Amino acid sequence: MPYWYYDKKDLLNTPSFRDGISNDTENRYRKEGARFIIDTGSKMDLGYNTVATGVVYFHRFYMFHSFRTFPRYITACCCLFLAGKVEETPKKCKDIIKVAKSLLTEQKFSTFGDDPKEEVMTLERILLQTIKFDLQVEHPYGYLLKYAKCLKGEKSKLQKIVQMAWTFVNDSLCTTLCLQWEPEVIAVALMFLAGKLSKFEVVDWNGRTPKHNAWWDMFVEDICMELLEDICHQVLDLYSPQTQPSAADSPPPQLVAQPTIRPVLKNDKKPSVTPPTSTSPVAVAKPVVTPIKNGSDVKPEPPKMDMRFTYPGYPPTMPPYPPMYSAPPPSIPPPRLPLPPGPPLAIYSEPPPARFPPVNVPPPNYYPPMPTRAPLPTRGPIPPGPPPPRSYYPPV
Amino acid sequence: MQNVNAPREPAPVLSTSSTILNMREKEKYIEEFDFPFCDESSKYEKVAKIGQGTFGEVFKARARNSSKKFVAMKKVLMDNEKEGFPITALREIKILQLLKHENVVNLIEICRTKATLHNKYRSTFYLVFDFCEHDLAGLLSNVNVKFSLGEIKKVMQQLLNGLYYIHSNKILHRDMKAANVLITKNGILKLADFGLARAFSVAKSGQANKYTNRVVTLWYRPPELLLGDRNYGPPVDMWGAGCIMAEMWTRSPIMQGPTEQQQLILISQLCGSCTPDVWPGVESLDLYNKMELPKGQKRKVKERLKPYVKDPYGCDLLDKLLQLDPAKRYDADTALNHDFFWTDPMPCDLANMLAQHTQSMFEYLAPPRRPGHLRHHHHVPGAQAKPNPPPQDSGYQDRVF
Repeated sequence: MPYWYYDKKDLLNTPSFRDGISNDTENRYRKEGARFIIDTGSKMDLGYNTVATGVVYFHRFYMFHSFRTFPRYITACCCLFLAGKVEETPKKCKDIIKVAKSLLTEQKFSTFGDDPKEEVMTLERILLQTIKFDLQVEHPYGYLLKYAKCLKGEKSKLQKIVQMAWTFVNDSLCTTLCLQWEPEVIAVALMFLAGKLSKFEVVDWNGRTPKHNAWWDMFVEDICMELLEDICHQVLDLYSPQTQPSAADSPPPQLVAQPTIRPVLKNDKKPSVTPPTSTSPVAVAKPVVTPIKNGSDVKPEPPKMDMRFTYPGYPPTMPPYPPMYSAPPPSIPPPRLPLPPGPPLAIYSEPPPARFPPVNVPPPNYYPPMPTRAPLPTRGPIPPGPPPPRSYYPPV
Repeated sequence: MQNVNAPREPAPVLSTSSTILNMREKEKYIEEFDFPFCDESSKYEKVAKIGQGTFGEVFKARARNSSKKFVAMKKVLMDNEKEGFPITALREIKILQLLKHENVVNLIEICRTKATLHNKYRSTFYLVFDFCEHDLAGLLSNVNVKFSLGEIKKVMQQLLNGLYYIHSNKILHRDMKAANVLITKNGILKLADFGLARAFSVAKSGQANKYTNRVVTLWYRPPELLLGDRNYGPPVDMWGAGCIMAEMWTRSPIMQGPTEQQQLILISQLCGSCTPDVWPGVESLDLYNKMELPKGQKRKVKERLKPYVKDPYGCDLLDKLLQLDPAKRYDADTALNHDFFWTDPMPCDLANMLAQHTQSMFEYLAPPRRPGHLRHHHHVPGAQAKPNPPPQDSGYQDRVF
């Protein structure tokens, strides 16, 4: 099954669940692990791409193994370690462990064993096999920027929305959304949420056609309102006070009442995603993002909800945003990010042209089309002898 | 998990971890877990070692469930890795997963050995590729393999097609050489060994890329890399394509410098001195003033290659590929449109010629090719003289299967 998206019923029946861990507990573990990757990555100045890739590895890993077998914090370190290498922002294993140790209680760190580095090395092989060496992962961030470019409206307001949506995407890493929906869909939903919360109604957009009912119809087909709301709820639930504070130690008390998972969407069929026009193919190296520091004043304000779902208190329980990481991008369009200095095969600042489907869901035997060749160039000096007539293009 | 031979005790029981597996349980778990996406390498049976890649050995192997299906397995060397799975291998995997093209080697899957006590619960990994019977270096070192002009055109056309594809996908190969050009028995050429490959970007104004210039086998390394350029691009592969193209006739690498300095001298002797005149901007490369460069050399590409190549279109294309200035060097697309490929004899299939050779030819298995560089013009043999006496063909066929 080379497909990384799951139905909600699959997300309830996980290896951890079959191992006696309740769904609520598992969700808390996932949230804590993801948050820990975010915190560790931020502290090490890793960019959002690396952090998000690490978190996606983490969530995928626990679709095959139980939290009982593999304690979450060391797995989290391993995911970040691998993501660092994959995204061309490598960090030494021992440095990651050092930061992890500084962030964890002694008790939690004891799950790393006597030789934490060796544990991570062994775990890395298990991780790679588990995730099928599907190393390249796409994230919603780029789509947010792409979508924002098309929306019409007051610039400052639009910017604020992108920033808010960006923060929601950061926080969505603590949910299992990346196991449910493609990054395009998540980006649409969280942009939609940010618009709602900012009372910003998108009435017009570049590229609008009569067939479009909403701006996202341009990018993703068949997104229904129920789906959008479901995704928004999953993120907003993070801020709900009912959620266990992450300080609790493992294993958690098993009796905490938790909001149950929402009913499966009426239309359980996943929307078909239009071939993403700006999907970067295996973008081997992603830009290292210089942390954005001007975002502190744009944290989403506690909004007055006017959406149909209820909205429990927001900021008090919200985890603090690591400034290095969750701050939204400073502007639309994305800034040209500086390349990191120094040799080890650094980074390139622009994703390759879009010619491929998202790499994490390659259709079998999909051969990316050859780019069309330019017409014949003007000829350089030709060696002696008249060129014979060119009768045909031989098959290539 | 390290000290597997020491008497094992259950992991220290933590007040909070009573439900976490102890070490022995975990080892058992790892040993027995059937990774659904990563098959065991035992599904293939090794037949012979056929090469040494950038990060490990390469084997020919047969699928156990089908005696006709052969693969090449490239072992991922991890023994000396302090930082786990090598980043070079991760790059190669990512790039190979992206590149799917007839003229690029196909990665079938990644296999593992079973994790057991014996290997300290650490699997070994293999990249599994479609098997290709020959590599170009092996073919060129065998005197019995004779390429007609049409066949040479076919080789170069496929090679440039592969380069066109990878460059269009913003990938640099960075290790072009005859040994990394595979050819199936059906005459399909595949670019292989992406162990040094990387993605590239077009440099933005004021934002030069900083890639390592310590890439590409010396003999195929372009002048800009030798002069310390770190903001290079596809032309580095095109230089290699030119070297390989010349080698189709000379049968051995045309510039076999023993050191970087010597390599630059050889390049200057063939392509002329590197001056700002022929190569604007060369003066700003890091090593331009730090290295002693041959002065006053004239460009003699056509003159020196003509005795081998004979075909004027071929000579002209070589001249365009072996341009000192990377900006003037032909790109793959332009090269594919060169008259060389559109004049008689047209490119023709290699399958018939290769059908006469039933044994695999790999550089790794062949005796070292005679270090017969492209000889300096006054040494260049006359038109009828055979360039570079071929190596003895005894000795290596026996080592092939």
